[in-house]
Amino acid sequence: MFNYYLKLGWLSIRTNPWLSLLMVAAIGTGIGACMTILTVNHAMSSNPIPQKSEVLFHVQLDSWEAGEPGPDGYNPPDQMTYRDAIALQEEAPAFRSVANNRSGLVLEPEGGDENPYTVDIRNTWADFFPMFDLPFLYGSGWDESADENREAVVVLSRELNDRVFGGENSVGRTVRMSGINFRVVGVIDEWLPVPKYYDVTNGAFNLPEEAFIPFTFAIEQDLPRNGNTNCWKPVDGEGRDAFLNSECAWIQFWAELRNEEEEAAYMSWLNAYVEEQKVLGRFPRPLNNRLNDVMEWMEDRQVVEDDAQVMLGLSFLFLVVCLLNTIGLLLAKFMRKTGDISVRRALGARRSDLFLQHMIEAGLIGLGGGVLGLGLTWLGLRGIEVLFGDFVEHLVHLDWQMMLTAIALAIVSALVAGLYPTWRAMQIMPASQLKTQ
Amino acid sequence: MLSMQNISMVYRTDTVETHALREFSLEVGEGEFVAVTGPSGSGKTTFLNIAGLLEKFTAGKYVLDGKDVSSLSDADTSKVRNEKIGFVFQGFNLIPDLNVFDNVDVPLRYRGFNGAERRRRIERVLDMVGLASRPKHLPSQLSGGQQQRVAIARALAGEPRFLLADEPTGNLDSSMAMSIMELIRSINEEGTTIIMVTHDPTLADMAGRNVHIRDGRVSDMSSDMQLADVANG
Amino acid sequence: MQFGPIWRALMRNKTGAVLIALQMAVTMAIMVNAISIIQTRAESMSRPSGVNEVDTFYLSSIGFNDNFNEQVAVMEDLAALRAMPGVVNAVQTNSVPLSGGGWSMSLATEAGSDVDTTGTAIYFVDEHGIETYDLKLVAGENFAATDMTWRTPEDSTWPGTALITIELAKALFGDDNWQEAVGQTIYIEETQPMTVKGIVERMQAAWNGWDGVERTTLVPQNTAYGGSRYIIRAEPGQRDTLMPQVEEMLAASNRDRLIRGLNTMEETRERSYQGDSSMIKLLLFTIGLLLLVTALGIVGLASFSVSRRTKQIGTRRALGASKADIARYFLSENLLISGVGVVLGAGLTIGLNIWMVDAFDLDSMNALLIPMAMAVLLVVGQLAVLGPARRAASVPPAVATRTI
Repeated sequence: MFNYYLKLGWLSIRTNPWLSLLMVAAIGTGIGACMTILTVNHAMSSNPIPQKSEVLFHVQLDSWEAGEPGPDGYNPPDQMTYRDAIALQEEAPAFRSVANNRSGLVLEPEGGDENPYTVDIRNTWADFFPMFDLPFLYGSGWDESADENREAVVVLSRELNDRVFGGENSVGRTVRMSGINFRVVGVIDEWLPVPKYYDVTNGAFNLPEEAFIPFTFAIEQDLPRNGNTNCWKPVDGEGRDAFLNSECAWIQFWAELRNEEEEAAYMSWLNAYVEEQKVLGRFPRPLNNRLNDVMEWMEDRQVVEDDAQVMLGLSFLFLVVCLLNTIGLLLAKFMRKTGDISVRRALGARRSDLFLQHMIEAGLIGLGGGVLGLGLTWLGLRGIEVLFGDFVEHLVHLDWQMMLTAIALAIVSALVAGLYPTWRAMQIMPASQLKTQ
Repeated sequence: MLSMQNISMVYRTDTVETHALREFSLEVGEGEFVAVTGPSGSGKTTFLNIAGLLEKFTAGKYVLDGKDVSSLSDADTSKVRNEKIGFVFQGFNLIPDLNVFDNVDVPLRYRGFNGAERRRRIERVLDMVGLASRPKHLPSQLSGGQQQRVAIARALAGEPRFLLADEPTGNLDSSMAMSIMELIRSINEEGTTIIMVTHDPTLADMAGRNVHIRDGRVSDMSSDMQLADVANG
Repeated sequence: MQFGPIWRALMRNKTGAVLIALQMAVTMAIMVNAISIIQTRAESMSRPSGVNEVDTFYLSSIGFNDNFNEQVAVMEDLAALRAMPGVVNAVQTNSVPLSGGGWSMSLATEAGSDVDTTGTAIYFVDEHGIETYDLKLVAGENFAATDMTWRTPEDSTWPGTALITIELAKALFGDDNWQEAVGQTIYIEETQPMTVKGIVERMQAAWNGWDGVERTTLVPQNTAYGGSRYIIRAEPGQRDTLMPQVEEMLAASNRDRLIRGLNTMEETRERSYQGDSSMIKLLLFTIGLLLLVTALGIVGLASFSVSRRTKQIGTRRALGASKADIARYFLSENLLISGVGVVLGAGLTIGLNIWMVDAFDLDSMNALLIPMAMAVLLVVGQLAVLGPARRAASVPPAVATRTI
């Protein structure tokens, strides 16, 4: 029977091509608008590391000034001071933890044919690579001994390795950056966490850095810091050591805690640490330390911007308009077939037969709308790329999941829109005469 | 075959009550060909709608093929219509989007026959009405007489016990009308019970029995019987 | 044309009309709220930065080896830049308005750590800063060459003078007393005094979303932190020819540094407001599409209604209605439906606005938008129904006597 109704639906669509096209266009436009925005939001709110997002925690200590709003109001600052980061890194009971910050160095190509260029750097620790599951193309991350010994080692991104070494296995070779020779220990494969959860402070949708070097080495060499820095107290004195001892927060801190016991133990360690520091005259605010796992942290940072949410709301209202439109047109279409319907009833069609027949016709129109909507979504995403530029380009693409969502949303919408007109069609009485007016 | 006892049908609106049928009674036997006549407004169409289970009536009892159909659910009346009753309408009532084959197919689909069975039945009835060569034509490509033949084929495809015809020749010219009437008679001769509503006495004469409706009641049965006898003779 | 009979006819067959009215209402709610967002964004974008955006560009010079002596390089670079034909003036600075990256500090009118402070953006410039940025000095005087000091990693003492914007002066000294700020002392990093030497009319900070975007301080210092930014103002019309020349000249003059980040102020503004301007375009597109969908829906339903009533129309024509009467019937019918729709829409619009203001911290809409949107939708409705109405008008009276 399903095939029969499909055939009837198709015949009916062909009989009123313009009306049908109008409905397909209405649903397609609504789906296109919704899916375009939904795809962007989906990318923005996606879990960048689903396999581990619940065991990775962003750590916040409230070291800010009493009574004054900080970079994040009365919440703890989102970054950490050097003193605290080192204390946590070395002493806190985490399975793994990494203090890290953003930097930039000037790379001097060998041979001197090419001009020097700047490279985005992340200063970090050996645990960074296993903790955030970085995929390696060649070699691996550095050993903990490199952290301890402050070695000049580097892990390159695939793109930078392509640029410097033409994509060859460069493990063991040397890259010269800002006058220092770094030994390559590893090259990572394509790695594009969206959002860039491990440092949303410096742009949740920026690309990952091009090279990774030991944090300890960067500190020892006093290499530049490129990231956001917030201080609530003037730096007491001049030079590197004064800055490192200051209350300036500039370090992202993450810990991997494998279960609730580890989390609780870590939290109580943090609290004890802060109480200790309070005795020393630091941490003037009340105890307010935070552990947020990846998705909690994305939520806390409102990584999905208000604009995106406003657009999502408006686009769903848009879909509502399109559906109201479709209800009206479907009703017109079904009422135009009153005669046929009453003949079918006379020939023995039950109400349930009419229900199926008309819902399937609505579904068929929904399918058409879905296909059109997919096309429009594709166009819409190109449009968004043109409008919003770089970041969307890397992040937003139409995957299978979203395509199926589009088709399903279209069909469900059409079925919902079809309910009332179908109900009306079911009320048509069987008749012995076709009434034309 | 068909037994109506004291059927009443009252249409109510806010202001008026119309009695379309008043305590209407009729018995039709197996294999009969009954013509129902009457002036317009007499209740002919209401009778037809009730006999065909197209409309519910206000009071009375209706037994069709040994089964009381007075208060069946909508789905059950649909089933009875589908299995036991064939309709032939004045306006043919073919579905314009469907070709001849698919039009005849409609009741068979609701019957739930498989494809082979449907094909067999459709080909048989189309052959019977002389349209076996045109299964792919659309109704708009056929003459009125041909359209009515398709409608008859559609009514017969389910092999109903009972055929209801409403002015089957009303939209046809006289030569076509005669050939349709011949067809209906031959169907009756093969054993199908037929009730035909018409205002045309010439056509009514071709039936085995005449029933005259006036003001919602059967009237003057005896003279009708006489006329029927003449026609049969 | 009387609305009474049309209304009564509508009431007997209201589903289609209700659907159109609802569609109009939701359309209006979306439209007005979208326009309200657009207005807010456009207003924020239209705030002047206070600097000459048309002729100005900037770039960075980054030393990358030990041979690079930044203090010498900065002085040589500035002298060379100012000597170039086509250059009005140039200055070393740390930041550019609207660029997103800058330096902010707290200022107070008294020394100490327990005093009220005001946040300000800091620009390091020299005595050429005012001319290069094309700022308007409204009180006091510009820096002199003798005010200048060097800021280095080893010495971050603040100099003794500063220029501030009117907005900052108001924030520090009160709305009515800002002119008296000249000659007053302000404190930075709790204890270091600076004398306000002059007041500039306006200069925006680097962050366009900051509520203190016009609270800016100019500080007479050159900086030596390894990377220097130069901002250059060209003679009108010379900017684009000058940019590659400047880049080439600087790159050639000193091989121990690299030149990067060559940008115009115009690009900077564009990038700064990219989110806003994209949002505006997106919303405008949405509104357009929405009106189109609504209009097409009206066309579809009106066409259906006309074809359903062909016989009735023919009868009316036979009874003496003129073509114009028939067309007017359908136009009036649409006007009634749309009228109900926009009234409903006004309520829905206000509801949606209240929710959006609440959920997303938006500004409340301008109430004038509601009558304007009502008018627009009524016109769109009339335009949409025009085609079907004309088709109705062309139904011949003879249809009345046709039986089918």
